[in-house]
Amino acid sequence: MPKILLVEDNEMNRDMLSRRLERRGHSVVMAQDGEQGLSMASTEMPDLILMDISLPFMDGCEVTRRLKADKRTRDIPVIALTAHALVTDRVKAINAGCDDYDTKPVEFSRLIEKIQNCLVEKKTL
Amino acid sequence: MSLQDLSIRRKLILITMLTSSVALLLSSASFLIYDLISFRQLLTQDLTTQAEIIGYNSAAAMAFKDEPAATATLSALKVKGDIVAAVLYSPDGKMFARYFRNDETLPTFLPARSQEKGYRFEGRYLEVWHDVTLNGEHLGTLFLQSDMRQWSTRAKRYATICLVFVLISGFLAYLVSSKLQKVISGPIVHLEDTMRMVSANKNYEVRAVKSYADEIGSLIDGFNTMLSDIQHRDTALRGANDELQTRTRELEEEISQRKQAQEELLKAKYVAEEASRAKSTFLANMSHELRTPLNAIIGYSEMLEEEAQDSGTDTNVQDLQKIKSAGKHLLALINDVLDLSKIEAGKMSLHLETFDVAGMIEEIVTTLQPAINKNSNALRVHLADQVGMMRADITKVRQILFNLLSNACKFTDHGNISVDVDQSTEEGLDWVRFRVTDTGIGISTKQQKNLFQEFAQADTSIARKYGGTGLGLAITHRFVQLMKGRIGVESQPGEGSAFTVHIPAQVTLEAVGSLPAEGNSDASDVIADMQADRDTILVIDDDAAVRELMSRFLMKLGFNVLTVPNGEEGLRLAKQVRPVLITLDVVMPDCDGWSILSKLKADSELSKVPVIMVTIVDNEAKGFDLGASNYLIKPVDRERLAVLIEKHRISRPRAITASNTAPKSRPPRAQKRGEVEAEASERFSHAENLTSRR
Repeated sequence: MPKILLVEDNEMNRDMLSRRLERRGHSVVMAQDGEQGLSMASTEMPDLILMDISLPFMDGCEVTRRLKADKRTRDIPVIALTAHALVTDRVKAINAGCDDYDTKPVEFSRLIEKIQNCLVEKKTL
Repeated sequence: MSLQDLSIRRKLILITMLTSSVALLLSSASFLIYDLISFRQLLTQDLTTQAEIIGYNSAAAMAFKDEPAATATLSALKVKGDIVAAVLYSPDGKMFARYFRNDETLPTFLPARSQEKGYRFEGRYLEVWHDVTLNGEHLGTLFLQSDMRQWSTRAKRYATICLVFVLISGFLAYLVSSKLQKVISGPIVHLEDTMRMVSANKNYEVRAVKSYADEIGSLIDGFNTMLSDIQHRDTALRGANDELQTRTRELEEEISQRKQAQEELLKAKYVAEEASRAKSTFLANMSHELRTPLNAIIGYSEMLEEEAQDSGTDTNVQDLQKIKSAGKHLLALINDVLDLSKIEAGKMSLHLETFDVAGMIEEIVTTLQPAINKNSNALRVHLADQVGMMRADITKVRQILFNLLSNACKFTDHGNISVDVDQSTEEGLDWVRFRVTDTGIGISTKQQKNLFQEFAQADTSIARKYGGTGLGLAITHRFVQLMKGRIGVESQPGEGSAFTVHIPAQVTLEAVGSLPAEGNSDASDVIADMQADRDTILVIDDDAAVRELMSRFLMKLGFNVLTVPNGEEGLRLAKQVRPVLITLDVVMPDCDGWSILSKLKADSELSKVPVIMVTIVDNEAKGFDLGASNYLIKPVDRERLAVLIEKHRISRPRAITASNTAPKSRPPRAQKRGEVEAEASERFSHAENLTSRR
């Protein structure tokens, strides 16, 4: 059962996404902000991270940059969730080292497919 | 003072006097000369006669050689005061008897011997030689010498009289001429006085008085005519001048009024811009705030739908699908409103790049395939051979076509949709023409009128049946306008529609100072314009007006100024140019100033560059937490900005203004493509199961 770390500051989104992911057979751990996400990534060692980009204090890009700079967490795929429907945000996320991204509101089936792809790629690595 | 510079009065007197004196002197002199000549002849005759008398009287004494008698005879000459000497010579030439006026003094000039008879003038003296004869016998020669005392006395007296006479007549001439000269000089002096008065007082109403009808009279006439001419012109000139002054005053008033109006307009413009900015910020925030709960609504309804499907409660499934679909419609609406508000606020900027038209069409078709299949439509794409690359904002071109094609799909059932692309030249410009035709429900002539207006979907029933926000075509229209293109429609209800879009093959940017957003754009062009001895400030602000204002102001402070409309471009340029200072806006359409600030501060090369936040967002604490040096709220207090900049300038040594670091390589193509699909899919809510891979 793949373990997914969901970094998201909005409680409702967190709840909804986690429940839907669990329904699809994922185990989900949650962090409320960047700092917590950073520490949980190294302690929980998830198979994949869903990262909200607009987080308070430390934004998702920065968290991802730090994750990718750390040997231990470097190989965990990160899918960015960008709230803004803007191309530049996605470019920012990719530049920060995210493996993929999706825009909020989430098209769940699309997101699931992205998650699957990332997990498959990780395994083949 | 020379003679010529004397006053006319004096000249006239002098001329009169000189003339009369010269005439008088000439006549007196001629008279004098004549008189003196006649008098001298008289004297000569007289002396000759005396010589004859004395010769006759002394002839006997000579004959008898009686010297005493001869001397006595000669002595008789004493009564004649002018006779200086008298001498009797014997025939052998020896002196026989003599007489001298003054006995004791012997005249040195006395000739030693007798000479030829006759008279001659020797200097001041008249000498007469006379033969003494008796009965035809030559007895000797008499010599008489006269000093012509009478003559010179007479000459002196005459000269004195002449002089006195000349003086008296000169005086009289002076008196007379000084009286009479007024006849001539009077009018001239009067004319001169008048003239002086006129020029001193500038009073052209004065006239000179004409005394006589002579030349001076006509001179005065001329002068008066001239004066009245001048007076006439002066009056006209003064009138014109008055009018001019009035006009000038009027103009000044008008100018000040206009200035005031202009200031008011500027103020109003500023207020309007602020309002517009506030509106955009509000809309951006609102859309974000609206999206978050929508996210939850759509998400939870989808989740519940899945659960309902699993538990087999079909009625719930349908209701939940309605909630989900309404939520998605609302989301599309919010996205479109945001786009439109950005266009209206002028925040929609063009990011030009050169791209392959065929590639772009292919991408769109792939993305839209599910929508095409949905209503069992057939799509035909035809690209003319000459269509190759074009330079435009690919995202906007894509969205234009996407909107047109998804409309075609939506309103056509079991029909044909075709895309034709070709290139043409009109008015010296190359145009790429996109034509999207369908065999759908079509649009009536009446409906076509409002087709490109916001919220003007052809019919409200259509919205119910087909969905959509009614903003798609309005946005499409605006995007086409933004790229200086044009859009048109031909349609028959029931027959189908054809939308034609013309976009320049080479779209150009009008805005000055904004840089193309592409990563491969060469900033060295910009750098080439900068002065090497100046430090560079980078201004990151999405508002063109603010960029322009800041640019001008900072250039005045002696900096090179680079301005960019978005944060990512700002970051790239900052790395390339290494500015001494960066000013950063927070609310920008494409990015968030806070994240740019974080990135700047996280970059080892740029972390030391001071960043001044220039924004309408009042959140100083956040700015300082993220590493901003200063925080200014718009509208910017320029003086404060100048002081801050000066502080930074002093606290740091001068640095290299530009480094030739190569621009960062652009993200790989595949990555761009992924982003493209995501963008497009967001627009098209029915496109399912899209994947994007790196």
